[in-house]
Amino acid sequence: MEPNPYIPKLAKIIQIKEEVRGARPVKTFRTQFLSENGFSFRCGQCAMLSIFGRGESMISISSSPLVEDYLQFSILKMGRVTSSLHDLQEGDIIGVRGPYGNGFPIEKWKGKNLIFIGGGIGIAPMWSVLHTALGKKEDYGKISLIYGARTSNDIVFKEELEELRKKIEVHLSIDVEEPEWKEFVGFVPINVLEKKPSPENAIAVTCGPPIMIKYVIQNLEALGFKDEQIFTTVENKMKCGIGKCGRCNIGLHYVCQDGPVYSWAELKNLPQEY
Amino acid sequence: MQKILRKKSFPQWVKKLESYKIYAPAKNGDVWNYEAVNHSEDIDLDYLNSVLSPKKIIFPQREIFLEFSTSNDGNPEINEVLPEENPSVIFGVRPCDAKALTLTDSVFGGDFDDLYYWRRRDQAILVGLACHNPPSPNCFCLSVNGSPHSKEGLDILMTDLGDRYYVESLTEKGNKLLNLGNKFFEEPKAKDKKDLEKINLASEKKIKRRIKEIKKIPPQLKEMFDSPFWDEEAMSCIRCGICTYLCPTCHCFDISDEVLSSSPIEGKRVRTWDTCQFPDFTMHSSGHNPRPDKASRLRQRILHKFQYFVERYKNYQCTGCGRCISKCPVGIDIIEVLDKVRDYGT
Repeated sequence: MEPNPYIPKLAKIIQIKEEVRGARPVKTFRTQFLSENGFSFRCGQCAMLSIFGRGESMISISSSPLVEDYLQFSILKMGRVTSSLHDLQEGDIIGVRGPYGNGFPIEKWKGKNLIFIGGGIGIAPMWSVLHTALGKKEDYGKISLIYGARTSNDIVFKEELEELRKKIEVHLSIDVEEPEWKEFVGFVPINVLEKKPSPENAIAVTCGPPIMIKYVIQNLEALGFKDEQIFTTVENKMKCGIGKCGRCNIGLHYVCQDGPVYSWAELKNLPQEY
Repeated sequence: MQKILRKKSFPQWVKKLESYKIYAPAKNGDVWNYEAVNHSEDIDLDYLNSVLSPKKIIFPQREIFLEFSTSNDGNPEINEVLPEENPSVIFGVRPCDAKALTLTDSVFGGDFDDLYYWRRRDQAILVGLACHNPPSPNCFCLSVNGSPHSKEGLDILMTDLGDRYYVESLTEKGNKLLNLGNKFFEEPKAKDKKDLEKINLASEKKIKRRIKEIKKIPPQLKEMFDSPFWDEEAMSCIRCGICTYLCPTCHCFDISDEVLSSSPIEGKRVRTWDTCQFPDFTMHSSGHNPRPDKASRLRQRILHKFQYFVERYKNYQCTGCGRCISKCPVGIDIIEVLDKVRDYGT
């Protein structure tokens, strides 16, 4: 019998890490499927997480496909389902279905310099592709990260970012000044202009709030990046994940299937409804 | 397979189909809708078009996807709830509504088959009734590659010839139904075929409304995405969503959990119809909304039907049934909107 795409598989939460405390809390969850037939995925793909009785929410997978032991999701507490996820404990069981979407065309980026530009929780979908590239570092040129959050408290993956500095260039920023902060103060798109990544033989990947993405793309263009060199993810509301419920529709595309990863060359030809 | 069926024999044929669940138009108060019927004598094919299309039988307004509960160890347990194995026959399907199902087929098929949809779709036999007279003054099937006697999507097409029906089986499923009532059918004579032609020709002439030069519309819509036109057109919309709820081709839905008990947790995950005309359809949990106003939502309805769907599935997502026009409480008329689109800026 054909698989029923709407039925989630059960998965156990094996680890919960508090990334950010305070008003905009972020937690990272690692899950393992209860049965052996889980799924394999490409970086940039998403999964629909369920809490039975609360509903489902589409979340990008923040671990790399190179990691086989668990799936990782880094989640900002925001709506009904994500708030319920934040109430869970290690050992609790959730539903997971997927993977959905196209993923990053990372195979085509071999030999190129990769610049990751993220804001806030937007680092989650990039974390998967960044670590996949780092896992095969010899395949790529220079890898760097420009990442910002509202305050230093809102920075996701703090410890990992410090570790990351040993391997690649990491530029952090916060939106408003803080006494202890030694790096850039200001919005991420401005930091992009400040750090001036070279477009030569490069791919820029940007994820974050829609308004940040808009200005990052403008500034990358100002630095000489071509539309085909810029990649981003579109995060429209989704319910089915399989191109049927109509919610994430942009033009002839369903973001859950045809996205969420788009080059700017592709995205600029779609209606600007995201 | 082409046959003639005397009207008085129709209930007897239906009686032979007892192994199927039978649906037919039924009058409730002033309106018609497709309902399950138990007695063949109750079927009255002298009806105008139903308020809801038979889409609601294949893709019901609410259906259960799965049930969840809590097992003894405190962990969630889920049970898939698929529609029952229940072969059905739907009588009196209008050609526009049958064509509409061929359009929803392309959405619910593709890379991921929607098992709930296909379980009902595959088991349903569609017996159409050609439109003698347009069932609505707003019918415009001829403009969207349809006709009042179109066979598209049907298993059998019946045409009313006065005292008898001209019955044409179009598929294996249709042949099977005719064979079950074999003795009630006669071979069509030359006069029957002549009458059929006459009626088909006459029925087309009775359809008064048209979208003129429809081929110009998809490319024109593409140019008009940012036009202030949509603000003007959407001004009167009260975002009730009836245009999409009554549409035989609209397929958007919501998935939500209905909780029967919160401790221990027990409930159902259900699919319900939803509409792009509601503000929270696209609203992110952050409050950001890609389609924040009535103008962008009306634009979405029109562009989805006459541009995006055409680009993706090579067909208009509209079969000209006219329901959205007849039932809009503020008189938004898709034909008028498209007429203005075609002539916009010229």
